[in-house]
Amino acid sequence: MFLEINHIKKKYKDKLVIQDVSFGLEAHQTLSILGKSGCGKSTLLKIIAGIEEQDNGDVFLNQKNISNTKSNERNIVYLFQEPLLFPNLNVFENIAFGLRIRKLAYADVVKKVEEMLENLELKDHAKKMPHQISGGQKQRVAFGRALIINPPLILLDEPFSSLDVETRATMQQLYKTIAEKFDITALFVTHDLKEALLMGDKISYMDKGLLEIFDSKKDFIEADKTGVKSEIEFWNNF
Amino acid sequence: MSTTFKKRNILLWLLAISFITPIITLFFLSFSKNWRFPAILPQQFTLDNWSYLFFSGGNIAPSFLISLVIALSVALFATLLGFITSKYIAYHKYRKKLLMLTYFPFALSPVIFALCLKYYFIKMSLTGNVQGIILAQLIIAFPYSVIFFTGFWNQRIKQYEDLVSTLGGTTSYAFRKIVMPIAKSLILVCFFQCFLISWFEFGLTSIIGYGKVETLTIKVYQFITEANIFYAALSCCLLILPPVILLWFNKKFIIQQAK
Repeated sequence: MFLEINHIKKKYKDKLVIQDVSFGLEAHQTLSILGKSGCGKSTLLKIIAGIEEQDNGDVFLNQKNISNTKSNERNIVYLFQEPLLFPNLNVFENIAFGLRIRKLAYADVVKKVEEMLENLELKDHAKKMPHQISGGQKQRVAFGRALIINPPLILLDEPFSSLDVETRATMQQLYKTIAEKFDITALFVTHDLKEALLMGDKISYMDKGLLEIFDSKKDFIEADKTGVKSEIEFWNNF
Repeated sequence: MSTTFKKRNILLWLLAISFITPIITLFFLSFSKNWRFPAILPQQFTLDNWSYLFFSGGNIAPSFLISLVIALSVALFATLLGFITSKYIAYHKYRKKLLMLTYFPFALSPVIFALCLKYYFIKMSLTGNVQGIILAQLIIAFPYSVIFFTGFWNQRIKQYEDLVSTLGGTTSYAFRKIVMPIAKSLILVCFFQCFLISWFEFGLTSIIGYGKVETLTIKVYQFITEANIFYAALSCCLLILPPVILLWFNKKFIIQQAK
């Protein structure tokens, strides 16, 4: 397995947020994690990214135990619910940020960023500041900023939750295209049933700090707790 | 022009006049001599007050310099230390308790606070010198700066820092490239306010300074107690000069940049 999570536990004061989570993910696959607010999805991603510390358990990436590795040395990018573009940098510099950290030569930075802007259809917006672009464009810049450093794993924490329905659909399509083109391995957290089904090669459900991965989309649809059956029933009776 | 707009304009003019008139009066008085009741205007307009205070024993120039050194040092140390300390307090698990401690120097009046501290300042030979006054004023300005910056360290800034970290940047890289540029305007405002706290400070300065360190504010009080309104007006002019320059700087650079 490319990513292996073994018996992760996390407690905040007296509340057990993650009870005992173990799973694995093959390279170049996207695992959707569906769950209600407060079920521990974001905490799990933060632990994998290294920005939260687990109380127990280990994280293996490519057979290497990274449980005690600092987040800036893990090479795992965490995408927050909001695009979080750096307000003091323009679109070009936001995308180039990870390359600047890695001290790439100026010509290489320009070449890579221009390629990425082309891929994300943002070429005309390179010099704009974050407040001058739309929500969907901001999210694309955030994607570009993450993808340009070619991370082995991307963690997406409800990245489209703040977008309107139309932009959300466009972004979901864009993600599918990009994931295929860049061979992305990702964990995609969402509380939207449809989005979980659309985005993931595999689907899981998280509830009360426990995670269950389904063998197939059929199993996921048939399980009572995921709410797919009641959703289908609702639309059939509508 | 609408009636509301006219009313607002009149109100703004009245406010401007109420602010500017005392300053003009001070400048007027600083160039005056022999102004006795019932004369409407002074009998003499002269540069004597300015030349006496600067060149013939008034000792205003050294006081002005001392005040400037103290205020700049206090503003610089309080802003920098406050910015860093507030980060640790904001993310600390005992945030509320620690923040409550920072209000302590304001719970007492500065004079009472200075009297409480005087014993320790004497023991450390910090009375009657500039270092002692800088330290004493920092005891007021530093907590102010911490309180000022605590609101800055919110969830969003934490997320920026975490994001930089997952992109491969160190904490210091995030601080230099993202946090500092975002906080720049706030840092300048805090510097300006700490400068003002120090510049107009009287109680702590007179008690810890023992009268040996004559800041401009101390001088103004001396002239007032001597009933020399012309010299007092002149010192007041000097006292308001640096804040006015800083206010202009604040308006020109910080507010325009924010726009």
